[in-house]
Amino acid sequence: MLEPVNIAFESLNFATLAPMLIAIVGALTILVVDLAKGGLNKSLYVMISLLFLILDFGALTDFAGMFKENGTMLGFFDVMMMDGLAILSQLIIVGASMLFIPLALTSKRFHEFSYPEFFSLFMFMIAGFQFMVATDNLILIFVGLETASLALYTLIALHNRNKSFEAAVKYFTMGALAAGFYAFGSMIFYALSGSVELNQIKDVFEADGYANIGYILVGVVFLLASFAFKLSMVPFHTWTPDVYEGSSAALAGYMSIVPKIAAFVVTMRIFEFLIHSGVVWLEVVLYAGVVITMTAANIWALVQTDVKRMLAYSSISHAGFVMAAIMIGTTQANTALFLYWILFTFTNLGAFTMLWVSRQKKLPAGQSSDHSFDKFSGMVKTMPVAALMMGLFMLSLAGLPPFGLFWGKVYMIASAVSAGYTVLAFIMALNSAIAGYYYIKVIVYMFMKEPTNENNYMINASLSLKTIIGIAAFATIFAVFAVSPLMEFISVLVYNSGF
Amino acid sequence: MEITLTHYLVLSTILFSIGLVGIMRRKNLLMLFFATEILLNAVNVGLAAISHYYNDLTGQLFAFFIIAIAASEIAVGLGLLIVWYKRTGSIDLDTLTSMKG
Repeated sequence: MLEPVNIAFESLNFATLAPMLIAIVGALTILVVDLAKGGLNKSLYVMISLLFLILDFGALTDFAGMFKENGTMLGFFDVMMMDGLAILSQLIIVGASMLFIPLALTSKRFHEFSYPEFFSLFMFMIAGFQFMVATDNLILIFVGLETASLALYTLIALHNRNKSFEAAVKYFTMGALAAGFYAFGSMIFYALSGSVELNQIKDVFEADGYANIGYILVGVVFLLASFAFKLSMVPFHTWTPDVYEGSSAALAGYMSIVPKIAAFVVTMRIFEFLIHSGVVWLEVVLYAGVVITMTAANIWALVQTDVKRMLAYSSISHAGFVMAAIMIGTTQANTALFLYWILFTFTNLGAFTMLWVSRQKKLPAGQSSDHSFDKFSGMVKTMPVAALMMGLFMLSLAGLPPFGLFWGKVYMIASAVSAGYTVLAFIMALNSAIAGYYYIKVIVYMFMKEPTNENNYMINASLSLKTIIGIAAFATIFAVFAVSPLMEFISVLVYNSGF
Repeated sequence: MEITLTHYLVLSTILFSIGLVGIMRRKNLLMLFFATEILLNAVNVGLAAISHYYNDLTGQLFAFFIIAIAASEIAVGLGLLIVWYKRTGSIDLDTLTSMKG
């Protein structure tokens, strides 16, 4: 006769699971509503998603207050782990999703938004990302990562164009390879330490003084390759521009933000202790990766003829820039990472929404891509406000003061200098200058050329899209007032979780 | 000869390499999916062996999760493949070339 298992409810620490549960309940609600009455308008589903996202965001803000005093909170037999990093990244994930979901209310009708499953999958994806950042268990990281990725492949394919299927298949094969690498890397770590929890792995490695350094490095290589795929670090970036081009502009903007912050947090958890333990080789590899990613992506961006592909390469370059923070590994650098990413969220989502606004149902004859530079020529004469907005986002991406991303760049470079990486700081500054060129190119097209084509720029605009652009522009312009309270908030949370 | 943990790990590594070569060399999407299955299941062999070695169930748990994930991955992948086949009449990787740059 087996003993009945008794587990006290309090010991589960249910609160650690609450934010993901809200997202999952949201997804199920959408499915149930569709089951009860089909054929409802998409705005209902948008509102349901938004409602649950706001609830989710509220739960996280409620949590954030708690973590100002103490470090981490474990739950569900130590599988769930909420700490400052988890809270911060989830705030970014849910916040960016709240800005993304109203973009479904376009004035043109698109295939994917007519399915309630789109919104349901979207909510499941958010739950996946939330699981991924709120744990230090390699199994749960894997499950969260795959839940989110599989949902994302489907969301891309739902756009229902030849290019989006091609993008989804490419992303899928790359993602499957990354999953294999991740599984193999964590198998090696499990073989070496007998545990799948990162803090225990760390303890075991430190206890025997990194005796098996050769095998550890093999594991690190596989894990690094896996996350390099997700973060689109050069040379694992090949899928990024194609996938961004194939998916809708709104989803491309979303993909440049949310999956990456989740991957950044996991990378930080896995590699930070390895770098600090003096695995010198890893630092060299990361250094090279950061520099090559920043520079090469910038150079590719220079030669693009399509604004969306240009923005795809620019987002690779931004990811490389931020990856430097993980290599540096000080509290200041990690704080700068989150600050940068919050500011980047608003700016980049704004820029991609400007592309989404101009999206036509079908490609015009004789045009090979949706958002070629020519489309923007002379925009200031026909659409002055839209041109100003686009210009604003481009200037912010280029890092011109006083717009949002300038402060992110300043703090990032400052943290590099104060950690003694002067050369790296110089390379980062140089890259910002190179990047300026291709952002200014868009502005030149908009403000200095004569309009060539008929005026169809705002063809897809609706009130909700304009609102999102307004919010993004507001945040980009007035970021200067938010930077110092944000820094304070972030640094307390990051410091308390021990990074 | 007694079969030890090392043998299992070597087997797992060999299978993983076969999967990796398959992903890189295969031009047929269906074959590519097979290769990713080999990749993930190679890890399962290793995890089960390590789990037995440490007398710890975590590894086998991990293996079960990987089986579930591999299955759902293939479900999504085959869905994409069917749509692609309907649209282009081919499941060759070389047809995926409309975007460049």
